[in-house]
Amino acid sequence: MPELKRLPATRIVATPAALDAAEWPDDTLALRFAPDELLVTPPVANLALDDPHAIIIADSGYAGVWLPEAEALAFLEHACEWELPTQRPAFAQGAVAGIAAKLWFEAGRVLLIVPAPLIADFEERMA
Amino acid sequence: MRLIVDGQPIAFEPDDTLLAAMLRADLHPTGGGCLCLGGDCPHCLATVDGVAYVRTCQVAAKPGQVVERQHQSGYPALPETHRPGPAVTALNRHCDVVVIGAGEAGRAAAAEAEAAGKQVLVLEAKNGQEVVGIYHGPLVVARTDEGMLHVHAKEEVIVATGAAEIQPVAPGSELAGLVTARAAGQLAAAGIDLGRVVAVGTPPDGVEVQWVEGEIVYFEGEGQVEAVIIRGADGSEQRLECDTVSLGLGFHPRDALRRMGRDWRVRAVGDAARESDIPPCPEAGIVCPCSGVSVEDLDFIWAQGFHELELVKRATLAGTGTCQGSVCLPYVRSFLADRGQALQPPFTARPVTRQLTLGEIAAGAHHQATPRTALDGEHRRLGAQMERIGGWWRPWNYGHVLEEYWAVREAVSIGDVSTLGKMIVSGPDALELLERLYPTNVATIKPGRSRYVLLLDERGYVLDDGLICKETDTRYILTFTSGGSSHAEMWVRDWAESWGLDVRLLNQTMTLGAINVTGPLANELLDRAGLTDRPPYMGHAPGVVAGVECNVFRLSFTGELSYELHHPAQDSVKLWRALLELGADLGLKPHGIEALLKLRLEKGHIIVGQDTAFDSTPRRIAHEWAVKLSKAEFVGRPAIIRTNKIPLDKQLVGFEMDGPAPIEGAVIWYKDQFAGHVTSSTWSPVLGQAVMLGWLYYFDGELPATVTIDSRPARRVETPFYDKEARRARA
Repeated sequence: MPELKRLPATRIVATPAALDAAEWPDDTLALRFAPDELLVTPPVANLALDDPHAIIIADSGYAGVWLPEAEALAFLEHACEWELPTQRPAFAQGAVAGIAAKLWFEAGRVLLIVPAPLIADFEERMA
Repeated sequence: MRLIVDGQPIAFEPDDTLLAAMLRADLHPTGGGCLCLGGDCPHCLATVDGVAYVRTCQVAAKPGQVVERQHQSGYPALPETHRPGPAVTALNRHCDVVVIGAGEAGRAAAAEAEAAGKQVLVLEAKNGQEVVGIYHGPLVVARTDEGMLHVHAKEEVIVATGAAEIQPVAPGSELAGLVTARAAGQLAAAGIDLGRVVAVGTPPDGVEVQWVEGEIVYFEGEGQVEAVIIRGADGSEQRLECDTVSLGLGFHPRDALRRMGRDWRVRAVGDAARESDIPPCPEAGIVCPCSGVSVEDLDFIWAQGFHELELVKRATLAGTGTCQGSVCLPYVRSFLADRGQALQPPFTARPVTRQLTLGEIAAGAHHQATPRTALDGEHRRLGAQMERIGGWWRPWNYGHVLEEYWAVREAVSIGDVSTLGKMIVSGPDALELLERLYPTNVATIKPGRSRYVLLLDERGYVLDDGLICKETDTRYILTFTSGGSSHAEMWVRDWAESWGLDVRLLNQTMTLGAINVTGPLANELLDRAGLTDRPPYMGHAPGVVAGVECNVFRLSFTGELSYELHHPAQDSVKLWRALLELGADLGLKPHGIEALLKLRLEKGHIIVGQDTAFDSTPRRIAHEWAVKLSKAEFVGRPAIIRTNKIPLDKQLVGFEMDGPAPIEGAVIWYKDQFAGHVTSSTWSPVLGQAVMLGWLYYFDGELPATVTIDSRPARRVETPFYDKEARRARA
């Protein structure tokens, strides 16, 4: 059974314009949860944002696991009532097996992200 | 090949349905009633391999199947032992158009949609995709051999399920040997001997029959039909002996799915869209075999004034049973048309059209997940009894509640308070947002200081409580109760957006762990952990504790010297273990919620949701001190000003009594009159008596000084019960 691990990340809440203008290192994954909220993993240091009131925190409140695309889709077609994106890469979020989840689709693999306090429930529902 | 029916093996042919196999063995699944072979009627139901209400005409016979017949006069037997069925999975599919039924009309509709470039999915019961309901979306739910299929239609659902044959309603219609015309043809084609067949109405294909025209007066026989009595056009009656009666009485649309989806993008085509044939008004007999509703019952209900089809359905239960009106609907409409001179449209249909197992109903559904703190494993390792409290798994106790309690009162203890809601508010309008939201003067909170606050709704009722902690003039931390955190976050976000304020909001409840270090030796423990520069009471400051970067908040819920250490959740275990080790010789024991509830109640601290009701104002809970009406504006202010003019009718107050603590919820009596109820109750080890909070009503403008709880006298007292000057918390 896939094991979810806490995702070390930087979580940012800032003006949408500031997030739009920001650039992220190539080796990071920046997931836009909302127009004013973003999660970057792995964490980034010395972040410069054009928003003096931005909230930038080190975050380990989410957990994730990378799955081969076929394995992920086989699980999601049972666990996910909403239509999954077909283009790649793509970010999507919604209830997966009854748990608020974030999904990052790349060619050949998918990152499943859930709130870390729900790791046990999610793993049980994946089994 | 053989299967088992009522404990006896019977043989069957390769292409037999279960029904065909039973008929070959001269067994009627329910003992009698007109068989349709279309899955429409309730007369072939049986319990198959432990699953009740299976339509045996729709299920292929298989070797070893165990069938228990379900006699029409009763319900299937309940299993003698609890045997959980297997979990059923749900498979989700998305398409533009769903076509239900792959007959001629369904195929044509599918072809038309495909030609228009639509992505089409066709569901056909004969292919093992039995649609049982249409829900908002529209979402089409079908039962398959692999589990439940949930099909999400983006554009349209087309119902092409054809038409059902009208069943007979006449005395004796419960006999065996009655079949619809289509069923007669199918049974004959399957090689089942029907004996002498009398055909009433449209005759069946490929069956040698004695055809007769006229109205059915009644069927004759004992268990098995032996004759049918027909009234001709001239009024004369004719008795025809037979073994089988084939009934070609007309058709009505099989359109329950269209009717249940009528507010959505669902339409019917083909015979499912046709008008129903309306049979003659029945004179006698059972109209609804599922609910046992007779013509006499309809007459009675009519005489009572129930004249609308929807009301007749509810008054008699006709149409609410197994076949969902497939048998009775044409007759009830005919009856009402005859009595009321107008044909009423069919009644509403609602999911589901078929009996489902609990597993099938639950497919794809999940109970609400219960979050666990980062210390969940530590609690379990320490032998904690875990409970769902405030929406989280939390340690109720670690086996010794009194030891945990006394560790707090006399030594030092740690508790996991990671579940508390925590939110950052930042931005140029942060202060304005909080001033508008909270009934306290937020502007007077200094950086590095915290203040206890109530969160009110527009009616001035208490929604939640917590702290406002000021970091800078444009940045604050809010805390909420564990159970109220999600709602409070929504509340803050909604108002910030409604007012168009320039703020950033981040809920970091999941991100941060929090450990409460509490007890008279808390300072010594923190000294050992390297935190020597600590914030004052109701202050907060960053600090490093046992190598973990924390935001340290000094406050007290237990009534003792206390610090909450907010820290990154991934460091929770490290910090917890370090504190346990460093405090071992100080008498440190972790405390669970059971001890915490005792400790807080001794201090008279309320728990929003437990001690408050939906209409609790600050005045009713004696928290007027937390409301500054001198402020020009805050949510709930107009309501507070208005309700303050109304005399109090009840108030949350403290009680003490000798002996054991009454149960929470216990009724409070005053002079044999109901006077309120207890919201929190515990026996106080340090005070040696029971202490309580409860709602107490006013009598003649006064709160009673003594009341009766649990048949014992209780005294109303001021709170807190313990350390009234708060010297210990402020030490």
